[in-house]
Amino acid sequence: MSAEVEVVEQAPAPVPGTRGTWSLSWHGLRTVTVLELRQRVRSTRWKTALIVWFLVVGLITMLTTGAFAIISGDGGTDETFGGMVYSIVVGFVLFLGLLVAPTLSSGAINGDRNAGTLATLQVTLLTPAEIVLGKLAAAWIAALAFLVASIPFLVWALVGGGVSWLALLTTVLMLALVLGVVCAIGLGFSAVVSKTSGSAVLTYLTVGGITAVLPILFGLLVPATTTTESVRVWAVEAGYTWEETTAPECEWQTQETQVWHSEHTWWLLAPNPFVVVADAQPLGDPETLGEDENMLAVLQYGVRYARTGDSGPQDWCTGVYMGEGPQPESPVEPVQVTDQLVWPWGLGFDLLLGAAGVIVAVNRLRVPTARLAQGTRVA
Amino acid sequence: MTPDGGIRAQGVRRSFGPVHAVADVDLVAAPGRVTALIGPNGSGKTTLLLMLAGLLTPDAGTISIAGADPVTQNYAARSRTGWMPDVFGTWDSLTAREVLTTVAAAYRIDAATGRARAGELLELVHLSEFADQPAHVLSRGQKQRLGLARALVHDPDVLLLDEPASGLDPRSRVDLRVLMRRLAAEGKTVLVSSHVLTELDEMADDAVFISRGRTVATQSVADGDRPREWRLTALDAEALTAWLDENGPAYRRESDSPAVLVELTGDAAAAALLRSAVEAGIDVSSLAPAGGVLEQAYLALEEERR
Repeated sequence: MSAEVEVVEQAPAPVPGTRGTWSLSWHGLRTVTVLELRQRVRSTRWKTALIVWFLVVGLITMLTTGAFAIISGDGGTDETFGGMVYSIVVGFVLFLGLLVAPTLSSGAINGDRNAGTLATLQVTLLTPAEIVLGKLAAAWIAALAFLVASIPFLVWALVGGGVSWLALLTTVLMLALVLGVVCAIGLGFSAVVSKTSGSAVLTYLTVGGITAVLPILFGLLVPATTTTESVRVWAVEAGYTWEETTAPECEWQTQETQVWHSEHTWWLLAPNPFVVVADAQPLGDPETLGEDENMLAVLQYGVRYARTGDSGPQDWCTGVYMGEGPQPESPVEPVQVTDQLVWPWGLGFDLLLGAAGVIVAVNRLRVPTARLAQGTRVA
Repeated sequence: MTPDGGIRAQGVRRSFGPVHAVADVDLVAAPGRVTALIGPNGSGKTTLLLMLAGLLTPDAGTISIAGADPVTQNYAARSRTGWMPDVFGTWDSLTAREVLTTVAAAYRIDAATGRARAGELLELVHLSEFADQPAHVLSRGQKQRLGLARALVHDPDVLLLDEPASGLDPRSRVDLRVLMRRLAAEGKTVLVSSHVLTELDEMADDAVFISRGRTVATQSVADGDRPREWRLTALDAEALTAWLDENGPAYRRESDSPAVLVELTGDAAAAALLRSAVEAGIDVSSLAPAGGVLEQAYLALEEERR
């Protein structure tokens, strides 16, 4: 047959080096990311969302600043408003970010599958890892665009004073990482579930789980972590009658009392994105906590306090006497919250969740595929 | 035939739960030839092509695509396969040109070559004037042509085309046919699944019939030794049938038409019949094959199944 001859003559096409499921190349990654971003940028919906975001965050910043000016009186004070405005804006940006990020990635794989464009990429020489990480990069970049749109307001709050530039840096960095994690979780679910609405719901549930359910669990575990112990207390002298006009003497006593060992359960708070963002800033001076009204600093103090847990002797004496006269010196050190960081644990846990999402997605995109999820179509 | 080239599938099987989409398919498509994959709806054509394209693992059987096993050497097989799915989405917001350059990049072709290749292919499928329009403004047939161009971006050795002709206008169908023939002449292996059998007649060299997930027949289209039906018409139908009753081969009347159908083997037999009919004074107005080779083979198989 003539066909035979032709084939023999035809030089065999050079077989490119085999690349496995997890092979990554800058070229492949960029191809997928550019493809995804192009599609996103061209949808007007996305632009609208970004504009609405900018306006809403701007409005919140304005309202907060205005409210603060009214609360703090005639407005002519030298008081810094930065702390409160800053913490409200950051909290709000994070809250909105947690709402928006799942929508950016939770349809990335099953949406393509339903539109019939996923297999088109799978048959090419892109590896599953390149497809997944490219999509993750695109979703993350989109999420970061929202973050960038909020930076002017964060800087505005910073100008108000009371917050360090370093805090802005750590906050933005943590916000970025947390949003990336949420995108990765969404991507994982979008590879597993066939409907985009289903993967969105699962992503919201997961984010809700680490944001709300774990802290609630922490609260519910308070009785279980509270024990009755003998504690050394600096207490009012025995036999002191409260009719006396002199301050009571204080003395060391040993009393049975309830001690909350929050140092056993603090880690339940750690994965919470708000905790991660708050705890990553430099630890402030507890003395000024109340003045700044920086809620992030308060939150940070709270989780550090929880991690410190049982701090030994307690002072039940100092300050209980309301009458006149000198207050006795207290030998009990005021509680020093730990300088051990909480956020690396929380962020570590969150990053593991995100990594799990990526691994699941890559495994689901392996070709040839052995099994199809219920109701999915490869093409 | 070299063991390397083309498509070879043996005993391929694939089920989805209780549904045996592909039960037992043997298929050989040789380089330099166009092979038609023919079967009724739901016979497992698309599933088979997905396995050949390296997207689905077969439950059993072996596949070789240009010498590579899509299960164990998926990457190598993918690099040589061009696949055009039956229903496909396009990235709607991308222009036709961007679709092709993106696919080129996905096949690790550098940007400059990719751009040149995209221009070339757009020319080939007559989409140059829509090159910079977003893909969602393209009609169904134009999208189909874009899909064909997409399958050709990396100049594959093996082409798997799932219903490439659906939605194409007559002009595009002719173009498609010419293109298929040209690709085969370049030594490529072309496997086409289709329902439009008359078209495959002119396009395909070989045909593989599958039904309910099994290969039921394999034949060469150019095979002249098989008996096939010819349609014979005369001015006087009565005289024709009278003559045929006496001298001619077995015939049957076609319903609602004066023509009769006779089964003949080869063109020589047709010429002989025509000559003797004319010599006997029958005013024959036409003698032509009734339907395509593939159509007849297909219908015959359908018949057997009943």
